[in-house]
Amino acid sequence: MDKRNQRQARKRGAPGLVADYKLLPGVPDEMIDAAGQIRPSWLPLISALDELGSEELTGRFQRADQYLRDAGVYYRKYDGAEGKERAWPLAHVPMILDESEWLTITRGLTQRAELLETIVADIYGSNQLVQRGLLPPELIARNDEFLRPMVGIHPASGHFLHFCAFELGRGPDGGWWVLGDRTQAPSGAGFAVENRVATTRALSDIYGAMHVHRLAGFFRGFRDALSGIATDGRVGILTPGQHNETYFEHAYIARYLGFSLLEGEDLVVDNGQVMVRTVSGLQPISVLWRRMDASFVDPLELRYDSHIGTPGLTEALRRGTISMVNALGTGILETRAFSAFMPALCKALTGRPLELPSIATWWCGGAAERRHVIDNVDTMMVGSAFATGLAIEDQRGTVVGGSLPAAERQALLDRLETEGGRFVGQEQVQLSTAPVYVEGKLEPRPMTLRVYAARTRDGWSVMPGGFARVGSTQDSTAIAMQRGGQAADVWVVSRQPVERVTLLPTEGEKLVRMSSGSLPSRAADNLIWLGRYAERCEATVRILRAYNARLAEVSDPDQPILKDTRAYLDGLGVDAAVPLPPGLLAAIDSAVHSASQIRDRFSPDGWLALTDLRKTARNFAQRVAPGDDSTRAMTVLLRKLAGFSGLVHENMYRFVGWRFLEIGRRLERGIQIAGSVAWCTRKGAPEGALDLLLEVGDSVMTHRRRYSVSPGVNSYVDLLVLDPLNPRSVRFQIAELHQQLEQLPGGIEDGHLSMAAKAALTLDTELRVTEPEDMTTARINRLRNEIGNLAGLIADAYFV
Amino acid sequence: MLYDVRLELHYDYKASVHGDRHLVRVAPISIPNVQRVIASSLSFEPRPEQETTFADYFGNLVTTIAYAGRHDHLDVRLTARVQVEDLASPVDLSPTPDGLRAELLALWSVAPDSPQHFLSASPRIPLDRDITAYARALAATDQSVYAAAMALCLSIHRDFRYDKDATKVDTGPVEAFALKRGVCQDFAHVMISGLRGLGIPAGYVSGFLRTIPPKGKPRLEGADAMHAWVRVWCGKHAGWIEFDPTNAMLAGPDHITIGHGRDYSDISPIVGVLRTSGSHTAKQSVDVVRVE
Repeated sequence: MDKRNQRQARKRGAPGLVADYKLLPGVPDEMIDAAGQIRPSWLPLISALDELGSEELTGRFQRADQYLRDAGVYYRKYDGAEGKERAWPLAHVPMILDESEWLTITRGLTQRAELLETIVADIYGSNQLVQRGLLPPELIARNDEFLRPMVGIHPASGHFLHFCAFELGRGPDGGWWVLGDRTQAPSGAGFAVENRVATTRALSDIYGAMHVHRLAGFFRGFRDALSGIATDGRVGILTPGQHNETYFEHAYIARYLGFSLLEGEDLVVDNGQVMVRTVSGLQPISVLWRRMDASFVDPLELRYDSHIGTPGLTEALRRGTISMVNALGTGILETRAFSAFMPALCKALTGRPLELPSIATWWCGGAAERRHVIDNVDTMMVGSAFATGLAIEDQRGTVVGGSLPAAERQALLDRLETEGGRFVGQEQVQLSTAPVYVEGKLEPRPMTLRVYAARTRDGWSVMPGGFARVGSTQDSTAIAMQRGGQAADVWVVSRQPVERVTLLPTEGEKLVRMSSGSLPSRAADNLIWLGRYAERCEATVRILRAYNARLAEVSDPDQPILKDTRAYLDGLGVDAAVPLPPGLLAAIDSAVHSASQIRDRFSPDGWLALTDLRKTARNFAQRVAPGDDSTRAMTVLLRKLAGFSGLVHENMYRFVGWRFLEIGRRLERGIQIAGSVAWCTRKGAPEGALDLLLEVGDSVMTHRRRYSVSPGVNSYVDLLVLDPLNPRSVRFQIAELHQQLEQLPGGIEDGHLSMAAKAALTLDTELRVTEPEDMTTARINRLRNEIGNLAGLIADAYFV
Repeated sequence: MLYDVRLELHYDYKASVHGDRHLVRVAPISIPNVQRVIASSLSFEPRPEQETTFADYFGNLVTTIAYAGRHDHLDVRLTARVQVEDLASPVDLSPTPDGLRAELLALWSVAPDSPQHFLSASPRIPLDRDITAYARALAATDQSVYAAAMALCLSIHRDFRYDKDATKVDTGPVEAFALKRGVCQDFAHVMISGLRGLGIPAGYVSGFLRTIPPKGKPRLEGADAMHAWVRVWCGKHAGWIEFDPTNAMLAGPDHITIGHGRDYSDISPIVGVLRTSGSHTAKQSVDVVRVE
């Protein structure tokens, strides 16, 4: 510890959390002021944390992490072809900002958002800025983010920008700088909410005492604004799908705000109007909050190779029938070279200087600027003029001249001379530091702020908070989450109590009911498959359990009943010789896959139960032995499956989505039961097959109670195929299917049943009038096929 | 020169398709002092459920067609009467490449016709070191831009062989350059890439070319073809001048323009999104008949 720090530690008193907090020389710190004192706005937090002690603190922070895991908060990290899901890296100590400082940021960003709107409207409109010499033509004409098909299209909402994010850093002089503008499809607002929830789980008492501004008001304002520009009240969130880095957040925001989560294939353009393919047919939508880059939105007029877009969306924009939030083409504002022109543009367009300066940037297309960058190349971040990411996050494209080998440095200088227009130089940022909690102590790490601004009916509203990104080391380039940085909640603290806002409707507010028919077909399809796979897992686990229990008893795998059961499972693609067969793991994976595409439609608890099931099954697969061990493992899996079904079944609102899930479950159970009854009651089935059937059909006790004698197979067929009261009989499934199918959109129209409902009713009637002795093996097999056909009829009616 | 143009595009789908949508860019546009469209009619079979026409960024006429129902073929039929001006060969008013660079620096415009759009790589045309070197080897520094463009136009015609089977519609200029073979689209792409490599703005022109049958032979029905050539910005006085590297000539009264773009992708005759698993086969026939 050097002298200065020793002095600081003494000043701060007790050897608590901040005792060894070593400031970086010449770098301002958020928590500690220049005099070495804890800033007043931080004091309540730090003293409260100190009081808790490191053991309690570690426990509380673990609770926050537990919450994030339970809620399934993740982002996708790209390190190979397929990204992996990573837990959200929460930095537990919130970043504290004083309200007065927040107001400065708010004013600055409001001015900036307005300025950006003016600039982008000009770029896609009359191009005065180029003609007046305020923006070089090549920054537009050579820019991949300049979307020519958008020129001349005036946004239906009246504005290009509705939701922006800004990356801020505090410079050595203590003032805030704008490091980058995010205008394309800014992500992370949902993570800000989850950060808040997780942090307050750990620190609720401190949070409650500190007058922290709430986030809900910001979201409420934006939700109302989007609903306001939706001419028919419908708003969707357009996501690239579950492979996107921030898909979790898209689903989260959709659930949080009550908007539909849509993918490109959910939409179709019909006569210039964007429609959603729903289970009730095509339904119009008029606002899309897009979370995908503009060029992917329409494969016909933008990127021909986009597989996630909707052909014809550009035409809908030309006709003014849809509002895009933000408008397509606004990504051009993220161009790094634009930062160089912001001061002059602001002056020219508003008559005032920028309230928050941009990071100092020189575009090398200008002779004087090029000279400046060449002269200072060793200390500057030099990168593509057209880059859209932050220079400090751009590891491949941005270099500091001084860190290059001589030959590369010379090559860079040569390129600057000959094709300067392709480059910008930016001042190397020295970010301020903020404390992170590392092994019982606080340590300073470089920090940037991500702040969100939304256009509301009353103008721009800036989220009081957002999140702070802190580096994983003291190097200020290690901020990006992809490289192991962390995200901290941001508390804007007031001296007075703050308003408590909620997204729940308040008194006097009009109640709006969403219509039940707006379920996208794709979501319905996934719900059916989720139901089917979950049920398929259950059926497989039950047979495997019965098999392994018998194996444990006789320990001779060549016993006829064991051989026979293996043969049956083999027909289902399951190799019973393996204690936890790959076929079962695949079915579990498929259930998780279906569920992952509809994360916005069921509770985090349900998701957690399902991923927990997968984790357990994979774990078992590593170590479970055949026989007794496997029997116990299957019992655990069965319990977990029941847990999942219970969570979904008991907690899901009986909307049309639930019906599809239920239909999937009933279809699969009908198919599975019919299959095993046909197999076990067939002529030549080995001894013990009927007992196994009862066990698999979970009907041992009922059978004993209902049938005093059991001559042959009739009582088994009666109980497991024809019984209307046994929830595991085929007839029970068909009766349920018939009911659900009638309740679906178009299930009954003018007294006429849909094809699928009619088919279910026909089967139901047939089973009602059939005696067990007439239910031959062939007939049961036919029944099984008929249920399969029903699935096809449903798909034809609702998913095409 | 007055022409009647007839174009037929025929697509057969192996599996029937549905929910498809296409952009069609085949109808010629009127261009002041170059050509005037007197009449033009575009029709489709089967009849699309939706059809709209608009002018794209570069001023080309685009027709959007959409089908909801199933069908197994698509016919596109264009008939147009176009008056093409017979312009005198241009006098070379173009500056040297250095002079051109200075003019471009002073040109503060991103209007659709501005050469600024035609200087850098575009979706189908990368800047390529070899192609640029090829173009540079032909151009002397004190030469005018026009002369440089003409040298490249003639050189491509000399060094490349016209070969329908060597390239496909999605072959890029780098590959075509390596093969030294291809069709008009390839020649145009190579020439554009070379010029842009020298800092000369160059764009793609799509159109029709009247072919004149050999002496004594009758004109063959449908034997004409869609054609592509290059336009080059030769400075503020000379403006855009069109070169046809396939025929080693300036575009003239036999060249009928459909439209302009940075490369083929901006003005491809038909772009579609099909929902089908099968492939398709395509046929094309063009007739350009002189009316008087």
